[in-house]
Amino acid sequence: MQITNKDLRKKPDITGFLFILPAVLVLFLLLLYPVFTSVYYSFTSKHLVRPSYKFVGFDNYIKVLSDPNFYKAFMTNIKWTVYSLAGQLLVGFTAAMALHRIKKFKSFLRTILIIPWAFPSIVIALSWKWILNGVYGFVPIMLQKLGIVSEIPQFFSNPNLVFGTLVFVNIWFGSPLIMVNILSALQSVPEDQYEAAQIDGASAWQSFCSITVPHIRNVVGLLMVLRTIWIFNSFDIIFLLTGGGPANITTTLPIYAYNIGWGIKQLGRSSAITVLLLIFLLLVCALYFKLLNKWEKEFN
Amino acid sequence: MKKLVTLLLCLSILLSAMIMPAMADELEGEIVFWHSFSQGPRLETIQKAADDFMAANPKVKITIETFSWGDFYTKWTTGFSSGNLPDMSSALPNHVVEMIDYDAIIPMDPLIDEIGRDRFNPAPLLEMTKDGVCYAVPLYSHAQVMWYRKDLLEKYDLEVPKTWDELKVAADTITKGENGEVYGCSVPFGIGDLMATRYLNFYVRSAGETLLTEDGKANITSQAAIDGIKYWVQMYKDNSPADSINFKVLDQATLYYQGKNAFDFNSGFQIGGVEANSPQLLDYIDCAPMPKLTVDSEILGNETSNIPMVIWKNSKNPQICEAFIKFLYQDDYYIPFLHSVPVGMLSAFVDTASNPAYLANEKVQKYQHAMEVISTTMQSGTAIGMEYGPKPQAGLLTSQNVIETMFQNIIINNVDVETAAQEAEDTLNELFETLN
Repeated sequence: MQITNKDLRKKPDITGFLFILPAVLVLFLLLLYPVFTSVYYSFTSKHLVRPSYKFVGFDNYIKVLSDPNFYKAFMTNIKWTVYSLAGQLLVGFTAAMALHRIKKFKSFLRTILIIPWAFPSIVIALSWKWILNGVYGFVPIMLQKLGIVSEIPQFFSNPNLVFGTLVFVNIWFGSPLIMVNILSALQSVPEDQYEAAQIDGASAWQSFCSITVPHIRNVVGLLMVLRTIWIFNSFDIIFLLTGGGPANITTTLPIYAYNIGWGIKQLGRSSAITVLLLIFLLLVCALYFKLLNKWEKEFN
Repeated sequence: MKKLVTLLLCLSILLSAMIMPAMADELEGEIVFWHSFSQGPRLETIQKAADDFMAANPKVKITIETFSWGDFYTKWTTGFSSGNLPDMSSALPNHVVEMIDYDAIIPMDPLIDEIGRDRFNPAPLLEMTKDGVCYAVPLYSHAQVMWYRKDLLEKYDLEVPKTWDELKVAADTITKGENGEVYGCSVPFGIGDLMATRYLNFYVRSAGETLLTEDGKANITSQAAIDGIKYWVQMYKDNSPADSINFKVLDQATLYYQGKNAFDFNSGFQIGGVEANSPQLLDYIDCAPMPKLTVDSEILGNETSNIPMVIWKNSKNPQICEAFIKFLYQDDYYIPFLHSVPVGMLSAFVDTASNPAYLANEKVQKYQHAMEVISTTMQSGTAIGMEYGPKPQAGLLTSQNVIETMFQNIIINNVDVETAAQEAEDTLNELFETLN
């Protein structure tokens, strides 16, 4: 009997399914299981240590949403993400453009500039904590000795400086990744398009807007999605540098969730915070992807 | 022949009866021991004791894992919920209360009796006793006392302060005189540690008050607490580096170790810290009892830390743990352990203070006065919040940074002291409800 294309389409491809099964299992165990567990715990009175717990419906969500500290942490989180992302994009983009232009020592400079990204965040946090220390720190003492400031600046205790200091450290840490990605996107732009534009009498700005931007837009968009998620969820740098203080000025949602889950051991309530955080990030991602699709259609 | 067989049989039964108990007594198995003595000499003395114990008991294996106190808390709380716990561990007094509350550790009374209950200082045993059952064996103790720099007091013609007011005057004088090179009295308010709670507790206890009431409620709005908050805020503003608003225990201690803080509050661990950082200052440091409200007032309370060891309920070999703890208390191991941080770790035993082997240590001899001050302070002290016996609320009082955040709010956001104290008290009482 002859097998037609129609029959082939109808027959389920077991072999293909078996091939992807390990990946699906890994994905389920590493990604979906923790998410489902968090969602489940968010409806329970789960305690970090005590074994027994019960279903409490939306109690945890009500408690979280009626806590003014949650909104304060949420707003701090938004500010932290927007300023850090904008700074990282600006520095990363500028560095990538500069590296793309220069001819000599490109590889060497690229390697040097990627160093902050290669360091573990604990090393970065402790190094900056020491460099900016208000008693022994090299930078504050140098600023005073140079006469730039009259008193030693307190980067981690002055309420007007502490948030900016954290954002600065995060920009310093995150910019290299943006730089490397944008640089590779820049290198993929065909040179002949620039030459054609030059022959047509286009200015450097016109070439940048009409050739460079459309080519790197999708890469930048994707970077923005990824960095938004990472920065919004970032915990280590803030926790290690300030722990959310002083006076909760730098408490973001992950720090707030940690304090609830590991501090007072209310894992159920902490899970509710993480679920709310997840929902918010999914909405932001949906918005970003809509924008990315639009750009892609325009480019094509 | 029959008689011979019967005789041989009887002999073999007799021999077996003699050998069997000896075999049964032989320890066999593996235990995991978590402790927080991560510093070199302490780690080494414990390891040596474990190695010698294993050599004496070839069928026993002791695996030691060390964690800092901060990591240790996270480790055991998460380990408890996942079933990943050691057989025995060191602990902080507040941890022990929580461990008892979670029914996670076993009673230690038989072991304490075996070692000799009368040998132990009674206060630490009481601190770890609930409903007449003691759940931990004290390993060492220390108390918080006031450390000062003799050379600076001499330079500014100052007496050792006996009251809080005298301390303020002395600190002001030194800060002004040293022009930023040395701080009069740094006050640490950093979150992620209990330092601000500790400092407030010093003042409150000297007034005979407590931060926890007898029925386990927060007590931050008492007159003594309000006065204490105002006192430390003013001390911070006048005599502290601005960054000490973020200082944790090590940041604060380092300031003293490096000779940049004239007055500090700590245990005998200061000596080792100064020796490692500024050995030239070793001859100029000493300690005194905690300041009081007035010169004539009585000593009404202090802070003591009694570090014990516990055996976890899930241990499959509690008899090995007990034998090892008993082994550790032998002079050959216990005294070198105490000497690994001389004057920092004071003996859990009453009789060690007169033990020639203990007194032979050079540092113990040099800092005899400091040791006497700390030992005397220990007699009138308890852990923070344990003045009325072990309470789980004491753990939350010191671990949730409520008092630290209160101080930060007063300094950074200019919140009125009474309002901030009331908010802190309400927050703590709300947190205490999560214990139910």
